[in-house]
Amino acid sequence: MQLSDRVTGTVLVALGGLAAWGGSRLPAVPGQDVGPAAFPMLIGFGLVGCGLMIALGIGHSFEVEEDESTSGTWLYGLRALLPPTLLLAYVLVVESLGFLLTAAGLVLTVAFAFGARPRLAIPLAVLAPLGIHLVFYKLLRVPLPDGLLAAPW
Amino acid sequence: MEGLIEGAALIAAPDVVAAILASAVYGLVIGALPGLTATMATALLVPVTFYLSPIAAVATIITASAMAIFSGDIPGCLLRIPGTPASAAYTDESYAMTRKGQAEMALGIGLWFSAIGGIVGTLALMVLAPSLAEIALSFSTFEYFWLALLGLMCATLVARSSPVKAIAAMLMGLLVSCIGVENPAGTPRFTFGVTDLLGGIEPIPALVGVFAVAQVMRALLMPEPPPIPRRRFGSILAGQWALTKRYPKPLVRGNIIGVIVGILPGAGADMAAWISYAAAKKFSREREKFGTGHPEGLVEAGAANNSALASSWVPALLFGIPGDTITAIAIGVLYMKGLNPGPTLFTENASSMYALYLIFILANIVMLPLGIAMIRTSTLVLRAPRAAVMPVILLLCAVGAYAIGNNLFAVVLVAAFGCLGFLMERNGYPVAALVLGIVMGRMVEQNFITSLIKSDGSLAPFVERPISGVLAALTFTAVLWPVVIWVVRRLRPARLRPTEAAE
Repeated sequence: MQLSDRVTGTVLVALGGLAAWGGSRLPAVPGQDVGPAAFPMLIGFGLVGCGLMIALGIGHSFEVEEDESTSGTWLYGLRALLPPTLLLAYVLVVESLGFLLTAAGLVLTVAFAFGARPRLAIPLAVLAPLGIHLVFYKLLRVPLPDGLLAAPW
Repeated sequence: MEGLIEGAALIAAPDVVAAILASAVYGLVIGALPGLTATMATALLVPVTFYLSPIAAVATIITASAMAIFSGDIPGCLLRIPGTPASAAYTDESYAMTRKGQAEMALGIGLWFSAIGGIVGTLALMVLAPSLAEIALSFSTFEYFWLALLGLMCATLVARSSPVKAIAAMLMGLLVSCIGVENPAGTPRFTFGVTDLLGGIEPIPALVGVFAVAQVMRALLMPEPPPIPRRRFGSILAGQWALTKRYPKPLVRGNIIGVIVGILPGAGADMAAWISYAAAKKFSREREKFGTGHPEGLVEAGAANNSALASSWVPALLFGIPGDTITAIAIGVLYMKGLNPGPTLFTENASSMYALYLIFILANIVMLPLGIAMIRTSTLVLRAPRAAVMPVILLLCAVGAYAIGNNLFAVVLVAAFGCLGFLMERNGYPVAALVLGIVMGRMVEQNFITSLIKSDGSLAPFVERPISGVLAALTFTAVLWPVVIWVVRRLRPARLRPTEAAE
């Protein structure tokens, strides 16, 4: 999503303002001049300053436009949200479904999103979770949840 | 000498040798795949290093990053898509050589001069780090504050990006580092009542998010890169010795630039490549040949990015201040393995330090045969469809983030930072500055507040002590540098092209 500098600058001003305001409300340490509030407030003011400069276009001349050829409408752009959504879905269901099934679903979805044929996507969705489970569960002893389908080892 | 022998014994252990070979292959493959960067290769390795011995853990990081920086040249040369940002500076040049039918030579330059650069950088690390350690022993919180700030400022000097946006990205990183109770007062900050946020945000989920997940997101919007034609390569290293003799000056200059940029906290291999390529062009006698497939710039920049990789370990080992995003990860691993960075590392853990130097040298020697094998099989590796690679990467992001603390919240963080990294990259905010802000935030604040308490709120001691005065001057130079360039460019608009003034 390409936003204008005006928009991102304004967002930064708001973020910096919130940080400074939130920082200023932090309780001070009795008997000391500088406490937990100093650093967030400093950062907040810095962000407000940077945000204003960005919104006004200062420093824009240093940028080199990358020619990222993205085709399609904003609806097509929503595809980019697929990976984070899948990660959140992974968090929600991995405990109940188990690692192997969840991972297979994730791999299958991403593979199809990249335009894979079933000939590639299905073997990948079977083998990749098994391989990763083997390395992380057996070798590295990470407690990946079993869920509905436990691994054979 | 004793330490050297002990160090050699440490890396002769079978697990270390296996770790070096495995991570070398891993680094070569990841670096060669377009879009998968050296930083991402290293970040995804971290969960694995948890379960290795300290030396093996450090060995995987060093080897994988060195290999990935080299093999980033391969897709740059064959497809004009840099494998890692450190190769971006000279991608056009090496692709021009490929079109002239000199792909072997372009790849050979990448390999041969990367190895030389890596070894020179290691020698610089061996010579400079112990002598700087003596000075560093006298450092107090004032000096550490300026060093960390200098690192942050250097991180904002990203080529081809607006310095204001880079500073904003760095400040956002600092803000992220404020989250949690890990501050000098122990007050919970910006946790919004979420228990998982009390411990603060670890750099690794953030790194995996902005470098790996964001890349998968970006790839979804971009068309598949064109398949490369099958080709048979001639001899890779033929003629490299002749080039070495023909371009001694660019080689030496590239190495020196690489070492200096690497030692600066916060600036790493990408910067070194851009600066040295520009320097090669500026000082060349055949300037008009640049951009048409001329080896001179490749020699200099290829050496520079690998020597920067080694010398960026100097600030990392001495002060725990990362030279770039890769050493930012390495510092985390060092702490985890009980090799806490600091000047005393060189006296208390001398044998580990020798082992580390030896690993660097070994990695750069192993790079030659493995690199040739990689180049020969690259047509195969680069044919791996994205539809097969990207799902596995995303799955590794989830599993890797979870494995760090066996905590699913880390996966949520990875997703959040993926979105943030994607948005920032799209709008021209450099994500490396964000990451270095997150990594160094605690250090900056700790030293700033401690110094203020020591000086009773007075700012004078920050600049009165001799070394901190010098460091302060360097920091302000880094801040004001873009302003100077801007003024110069305003005064002579015709003579400086934007690419030249970008450094």
